[in-house]
Amino acid sequence: MSAQHTLTIQTRHEAVAVERLLQVTRYRGFTLAGLELKPLADVSGLLITLSVVSDKPISLLVNQLNKLYDVLNLELHQAEAGALRA
Amino acid sequence: MTGAELVVKLLTEHGVHSVFGYPGGAIMPIYDALYQSPVKHYLCRHEQGGGFSAIGYARASGQTGVCLATSGPGATNLITALADALLDSVPVVAITGQVSQAVAGTDAFQEVDVLGLSLTCTKHSFYVRDVADLADTLREAFALAQSGRPGPVLVDIPKDVQLAQVDYQPLHLTATTAAPDCSGLATQIAAARTLLQQAKKPMAYIGGGVHMADALPELNAFLAATGMPSVTTLKAMGSVEKTNPLYLGMLGMHGTQAANLAVQQTDLLVCLGARFDDRVTGNLKKFAPEAKVIHIDIDPAEINKLRFAEVAMLGDLKALLPAMTASGNYADWQTHCAMLKAQHGWRYDHPGERIYAPLLLKQLSERMPDNSVVSCDVGQHQMWVAQHMRFNSPRNHLSSGGLGTMGFGLPAAIGAKISRPQDTSVLVTGDGSFMMNVQELATIKRFRLPVKIIVIDNQRLGMVKQWQQLFFAGRYSETDLSDNPDFVSLAAAFAIPGHSISHKDEVESALDAMFSWPGPYLLHVRIDETDNVWPLVPPGAANHDMMTDLPQWEE
Ligand SMILES: Cc1ncc(C[n+]2csc(CCOP(=O)(O)OP(=O)(O)O)c2C)c(N)n1
Ligand SMILES: [Mg+2]
Repeated sequence: MSAQHTLTIQTRHEAVAVERLLQVTRYRGFTLAGLELKPLADVSGLLITLSVVSDKPISLLVNQLNKLYDVLNLELHQAEAGALRA
Repeated sequence: MTGAELVVKLLTEHGVHSVFGYPGGAIMPIYDALYQSPVKHYLCRHEQGGGFSAIGYARASGQTGVCLATSGPGATNLITALADALLDSVPVVAITGQVSQAVAGTDAFQEVDVLGLSLTCTKHSFYVRDVADLADTLREAFALAQSGRPGPVLVDIPKDVQLAQVDYQPLHLTATTAAPDCSGLATQIAAARTLLQQAKKPMAYIGGGVHMADALPELNAFLAATGMPSVTTLKAMGSVEKTNPLYLGMLGMHGTQAANLAVQQTDLLVCLGARFDDRVTGNLKKFAPEAKVIHIDIDPAEINKLRFAEVAMLGDLKALLPAMTASGNYADWQTHCAMLKAQHGWRYDHPGERIYAPLLLKQLSERMPDNSVVSCDVGQHQMWVAQHMRFNSPRNHLSSGGLGTMGFGLPAAIGAKISRPQDTSVLVTGDGSFMMNVQELATIKRFRLPVKIIVIDNQRLGMVKQWQQLFFAGRYSETDLSDNPDFVSLAAAFAIPGHSISHKDEVESALDAMFSWPGPYLLHVRIDETDNVWPLVPPGAANHDMMTDLPQWEE
């Protein structure tokens, strides 16, 4: 049963930080459902909202993303349990 | 000083005395700084060889291995070694030269997006834009390589940064190595102790994380105090003391029957620094089906990744093992495990005159000096090494586990010899794998490294051939190597003496000759191409459904 999850992630201010997020998301088998980003007010980092869909537990992705050096903070914004119909 | 000189300065600051690499345009300033520096550079003959030597150096010693390469093809040649280090959690720092920032992003000569390439095969990678950040970046790279779950870190340094002027600021060490603390885990520790007390048939499943946490004494004390039987992964072989009667050997696809059968029967699997790899579990759904799981690891992403753990602890095994030591009544289970072990011992009474590789490796294991580091390649010979040799430390058995990379062995044996010059470095390789980094014989020649090379020659890509025989109807597609070069002559071209044997009565004297020769030596061992590795858990099967050719029983 697929579920959509939204993560709010603060990273270092580097394009490669976004590449890493997307690479891990793809490799760990999560489908991208939304991506928004903007620099923090003091330009020290990026604030990213990442939405993914998967039938895997979201903890698998959260644990992997949390290991990224560029990820400074990560919050599982909401875990909508509802199934997405194809 | 220049950025390049700062790189060398920081290597010495981190106690790095030996590095492996290959020069080229974009890294020339660093090579210039290395010239006549206190850091000894070992010229490999392919950057992949340099990467694997750094891994061998690291795995044999526990120190961080360092390799260098130029931009473009130099860096791409490193990639396989980085992937190998990532999957086996080996602390490596790779330093690559990059084209100057003035031409970056223009498809300049030998420009490749190394940062992009390295994303999936490093723990982290850095691109240094400003020489002012160079020292901090390198210090961070060394710290990251060793911290938590170790791994490879790449630092890509553009040529202009290497040439720029910078001051060296010594690091003011505030060395506070905090004692490992597990007070936050009191609830889980109590739960683990309860599970251990309630269990009737517990089993320790030991991975490479234990020795990397420097927790082998704590592990062996835990096994002794609990009386729990144990099995190890490929990477953890040598973790359990040789005298432990309830150690059942390696588990998994080519594990011992005793290990696999006992794990399938256990009611409490205590997973220590291991990760339920598919080569270990076979069919995951049918793996240890009766067992509750206690899982301890330093990497949060491994917990509940493949197998749910009733009790999971994220932390330092050195502190956790003593804290969770508790025992129940395991007497019947101990007897049962001892019986499995006795019933399924290896058999070496192979008929005929030809050489039986498992027996040869057992003889090698008995005849080599105690301090020997054995590196091996990938294939049937690798599994025979794991099955038939005994090691007194995981640092003495270097095998490419997670990536299973042919060509690993020769450069790893070189790195091992350089990190532990007093100890004997032995390579057990296959006729296929050896050719994948055979150019490193030139490294052995140049530095007169006394590496003892044993080529197990079945004139086949044996492991693939075995699968073709078993699962592809005997259609031997591209696994015939019967036109191999003459390996002894090949070694001679690098001033390495050698000898070829094909009869079992030649083995002992050949091994003695090899070990008594002071320098490098190649022993070419002809074996029958029909010999296979047993037991084998076929793809998709549960670990108790092992295929066996010869019964394994008591010697
Ligand atoms: C770089 C690489 N390419 C291909 C493979 C697939 N592979 C696994 S074992 C093997 C055969 C190895 O042959 P050899 O070194 O002679 O060892 P043997 O199995 O004959 O003992 C091959 C091709 C691999 N593991 N690594
Ligand atoms: Mg072979």
